[in-house]
Amino acid sequence: MTDNIRTSAAEAPVVPRRRSRRDFSFDSISFFLVFLGVPLAVFLFLVIWPFIQAAYYSLTDWNGLTASMNFIGLDNFERLLNDDLFMKALGNSVLLLAVVPTLILIIALTFATLITVGGASKGQIRGLKGSSFYRVVSFFPYTIPGVAIGLLWQLVLLPNGGLVNSLLVELGFDGFAGFAWLGDKTTAMPVSIFVIMWGLIGFYMLLFIAAIKDVPAETYEAARLDGAGRFRTAISITIPLIRENVQTAWIYLGIFALDAFAYMSVLNSTGGPEYSTLVITQYLYRVAFNDFKFGYASAIGVFLAVITLLFAALVFSVNYLTGGGNRKAKR
Amino acid sequence: MNDKSLSRRSILRGAAATAVALPFGVALASCASSGGGSEEPTDDATTDGGDTENDPTKNPFGVEEGSSIEAVIFDGGYGTDYVSFAGGIVDKNLGTTTEVKATQKVAQELQPRFVSGDVPDLIDNSGADSIGWNDIRDRLETLDDVLEANNLEGKPIKDSLFSGAKDPGTFDGKFVALNYVLTVYGVWYSGSLFEENGWDAPATWDDALALGAKAKEQGKYLFTWGKEAATYYLTLAVDGAVREGGDKVRLALENLEPDSWSQPEIQTVFTKMKECVDKGYFMPGGAGTQFTAAQAQWSKDQDAILYPSGSWIENEMKDATAPDFQMRAVPDLSLTANPGGLGLRAEAGEPFCVPSQADNIAGGKEVLRTMLSKEAAVNFAKEKKAPTIVLDTVPEDGFGSTALQSQGKMLADANNSFFTIKFINLYGMNTDQLVYMNSFLSGDKSVEELTSDLQGLTDKTREDDSIEKVKIS
Repeated sequence: MTDNIRTSAAEAPVVPRRRSRRDFSFDSISFFLVFLGVPLAVFLFLVIWPFIQAAYYSLTDWNGLTASMNFIGLDNFERLLNDDLFMKALGNSVLLLAVVPTLILIIALTFATLITVGGASKGQIRGLKGSSFYRVVSFFPYTIPGVAIGLLWQLVLLPNGGLVNSLLVELGFDGFAGFAWLGDKTTAMPVSIFVIMWGLIGFYMLLFIAAIKDVPAETYEAARLDGAGRFRTAISITIPLIRENVQTAWIYLGIFALDAFAYMSVLNSTGGPEYSTLVITQYLYRVAFNDFKFGYASAIGVFLAVITLLFAALVFSVNYLTGGGNRKAKR
Repeated sequence: MNDKSLSRRSILRGAAATAVALPFGVALASCASSGGGSEEPTDDATTDGGDTENDPTKNPFGVEEGSSIEAVIFDGGYGTDYVSFAGGIVDKNLGTTTEVKATQKVAQELQPRFVSGDVPDLIDNSGADSIGWNDIRDRLETLDDVLEANNLEGKPIKDSLFSGAKDPGTFDGKFVALNYVLTVYGVWYSGSLFEENGWDAPATWDDALALGAKAKEQGKYLFTWGKEAATYYLTLAVDGAVREGGDKVRLALENLEPDSWSQPEIQTVFTKMKECVDKGYFMPGGAGTQFTAAQAQWSKDQDAILYPSGSWIENEMKDATAPDFQMRAVPDLSLTANPGGLGLRAEAGEPFCVPSQADNIAGGKEVLRTMLSKEAAVNFAKEKKAPTIVLDTVPEDGFGSTALQSQGKMLADANNSFFTIKFINLYGMNTDQLVYMNSFLSGDKSVEELTSDLQGLTDKTREDDSIEKVKIS
């Protein structure tokens, strides 16, 4: 404030006019060109243009190998709705969308709370003993690429000679000798979800730790003085104060769950037993590069984009309706 | 010069667009056709080459002296060095520069190049990610002139080849793909292990069932399988049925006829296979095991004693085979001891093709012609322990390989009664069949369910107007 007063006082006699929007100097134009124009051009060319292209291809019978294609209107979308395999993949993707973000958020939030404010209930607000160690260790999986994680777990879960089955047999569960965790239609999906969670929880935990550290310690101290226990603190203090982060994480995880390509294609490149782990992105890839129906694959892509946007809209509106919008207004 | 900037441009375009499009799930395809039609007129590849030599056998396609040849080769069980070997000979003879690029994802790598018209001069379109022939066969050169030409030894190539060489690469009468490696299908086993236990190699499914019981006594399984290769057992079943029922069985399947999977020969084989599954002769867990790991259970650990596969298996597993394994094979199991149908599934594999849009068509064909010379074919057989379609390149001792010896024996025993099965790859059915077979071999599917699944796929393909059908005879 003081700064502003001083400058305007100094400049007032020299420039006695209001700054208008028409005031284009070389500086402002070049500034806009470089900092707005270039990124916008890049964005239009690399993001929006491919989107438009894909949308157009979805209306054609393009096979992906020639430069020619026929416009066939909405035939591809009609075909989608009658495609059993697509419906199966859609079901699996929606299942992932419902389960993966929820589980990861709950677990990551729990761990983050324990590490930051879950420690001794006397003295300074702090996390559990050894929390810095847990923080580093739990981040390890995130540093490994998804493909490597998939390969790693594929080996761990090998029916014969894999770590899991060997341990189980050693413990006396002989029924697990030769049991195919990823090859049985009842276990393939839960196991795949577990592997995805294993890979991602560390990152979201770290995200929440950072958010919780932003909350003033006084707030927690006040809650404690008022007699709130750890669980009550987490529900009534932590979650409301970091809800923006939770919302962002939820959307990120949702988009990830709708993709899940790296994990799923490594764990079960063929779509799993009875297609129980086939997801939309895998099916899209297959339609494009196995069947050479790029037009149809584009239609799947457009469909996926629509689901993604709907999901994001849903998360935003849920957050708004549960009071996320109010808090900001009051502040 | 022009070529360089063109390919750099298309790479950048592709890379950038893919990087952006992939995370959004939209537009895997978006990179490809934007700058389409950049088809450069080619002024090389004319027919006035061979200035230095007047002998037409030296350069029958007129490769321009000093031109460059680009080959994109599938890097699978056989590697790519055998093409480099032939390329080296061409380079020495004609002063060309042959560049061999290895890839395991033929379709993904070449798809944008097919769209832009910037295609290589020679492609080995093979492997799990090959481009379906139905999608590109109209854009390939016919290769009849390669077979009409003389080989480097000065003899006509067509007289030096396996009789069915042209067959697998001919679609609707147009010969567009030269399949170079002669693949024999059969059931593979360890000669030394069988000798040690006094077992005989099975010829029929009943032999196999009896053998399964004996193997059980030793704590071993009859068969093992891997999730990406479960369809090897479908190959085993189809081949056995064709050996039993001949062309009747084969053509019904090949031409996607209704009820083709309900033919009695096929049903009986399925029933026998199901008996093996139910008796626990299949090593459990295959549906969750990567296929090379499963194959090692047979070739290295010897937990299973038989494995149905093509003759690439020796080379594929050479680093994971028990010492003194003595790999041998018998033809795919039949139902009766003297099946009345066709003799042996032997077909040329590793299909090489020359795109019509290539800059150096003559160069691509010249590399093929050189690969069909005695020198290159012997080099291949010796290095890869597999025969090519060029006859008489494998000596009696099979370069010391028992697998190669037993292939020679199977080929001789078959008395020129060979067959191929095309429809599965032609219509890209393998991906779906894999899922059915994994369930069937795990014991989750009955013969009736398997039959109706397979027939459903056949019917769906037949009735899909967007799939072009090829009449197979």
